[in-house]
Amino acid sequence: MTGTSTAAARRLRATKVPVLTKTRNLDQWICWWSIPIFYSVFGLVFVYLTRLMPPPSPGHTTEQIISFIQLNATHLQIGIVVLSLSLGLASLSSGIIVVQMRRMQGVSPALAYAYLAALAVAALPGCLFCGFMFALAAFRPDRDPRLIVLLYDMGLLSFVGSLGCFVVQYMVFAIAIFLDEREIFPKWLGYMSIWGVVTELLAIPIWIFRSGPYAWNGLISFYLGTIIFVVWEFCLVVCLYKAIKAQPIDESLQGDDSLAIAR
Amino acid sequence: MHASFPVEERDILIPGRERETNQQIPGDPSIWVFVIGEMVAFSCYFAAYMWDRGQHHGLFLQAQRDLSQNVAALNTLVLLASSLFIALSVHATRAGDFAIASRFLTLGGTCGAAFVVSKAFEWSSKLAQGLTLGSNAFFMHYYMLTGVHLFHVLLGLVFLGILWRELNKGSPPRARLMEVGATYWHMVDFLWIIIFPLLYLMR
Repeated sequence: MTGTSTAAARRLRATKVPVLTKTRNLDQWICWWSIPIFYSVFGLVFVYLTRLMPPPSPGHTTEQIISFIQLNATHLQIGIVVLSLSLGLASLSSGIIVVQMRRMQGVSPALAYAYLAALAVAALPGCLFCGFMFALAAFRPDRDPRLIVLLYDMGLLSFVGSLGCFVVQYMVFAIAIFLDEREIFPKWLGYMSIWGVVTELLAIPIWIFRSGPYAWNGLISFYLGTIIFVVWEFCLVVCLYKAIKAQPIDESLQGDDSLAIAR
Repeated sequence: MHASFPVEERDILIPGRERETNQQIPGDPSIWVFVIGEMVAFSCYFAAYMWDRGQHHGLFLQAQRDLSQNVAALNTLVLLASSLFIALSVHATRAGDFAIASRFLTLGGTCGAAFVVSKAFEWSSKLAQGLTLGSNAFFMHYYMLTGVHLFHVLLGLVFLGILWRELNKGSPPRARLMEVGATYWHMVDFLWIIIFPLLYLMR
């Protein structure tokens, strides 16, 4: 699991690499393993604890919303605790993707930084706020019912409807893959990222509809988008695995001498 | 179009890019992964549309009358013409006539842009009539289907711009890149060929 056993890597290492750099990819592997761990926690939080996936209906009446919050209060509170403790793990996966994007040739580092910044912002409405709003509703169950409804709407709208930053994230990732001359990631992953852009656009009408395929729990806005996201994420993890595996351990990033010296 | 075919033998424009038989699929296999995925995704929208249509058949028939079939038919012709121009451009590229290829590409792109402009007019006239995304189930699908398709057209125009640069950069263009762009553009055209009868014609 150290990624150092490929023939190419061994050949490159053979010459003059100090022993210390053997661990070069270990940190990346730690980051890589954080991804399946993070998404397992993510699944536990969003599917089981906060009940955000699949989302409850936007067509619920006030009474239904209140009973949803009351019935799940404990789950929601455990959910927000687990979520706020583990959300930071997502930054590890962003870090490793940026490292791999920086390895690309013919691609400006600006795209990698844009990816990082877009995800850093997107994680708040797309991941934290939704659980946060639900837990807030559960915190004082005796709150004015209209406020509970407000929190419910805020949670789900921010969860499904936080679009812009994800669009940019998918877009810069796709552009970087297409421009890359080294084929760090396969081109098809770039095309899949374009699907990601489209699924985000398909969630626009959740701000308008309370039922049907384009509502926040609808076939198109939620299910299609989620399926494509899961497939994309899975492919990304596999491609990351291959990219780290193929990375020579003593490789320095373009224009990143500081890293080489620090090692 | 004075270039002579068979195309396949004249296809080797880039050194080191072998194209030994004509059994190879056009472009990069990756673009076909994309095309198939798009077809699956669009099938979901079509299925959702048909489902809602079955539920509110009367409403859909009524609302459909607010759309102009003539404009949509013209749109279809424009898009078909653009696909033809792009195909001719790819042929010319393979034949080595880059100037002609570039001209066909410009024509194709112009038709694509004309499609976008006419959609903008169509949308604004519908909006002026007070028919918005939230008006009814039919217009929800109308705006979403045409909107998602329009996004693909715009992305396609960006693609065509990249191809234009490739053709005019001075050195021989990469034939495969041309094919990838053309494949995407034909897919966009094909999707419209399905959307057109679904929204405008089906009774």
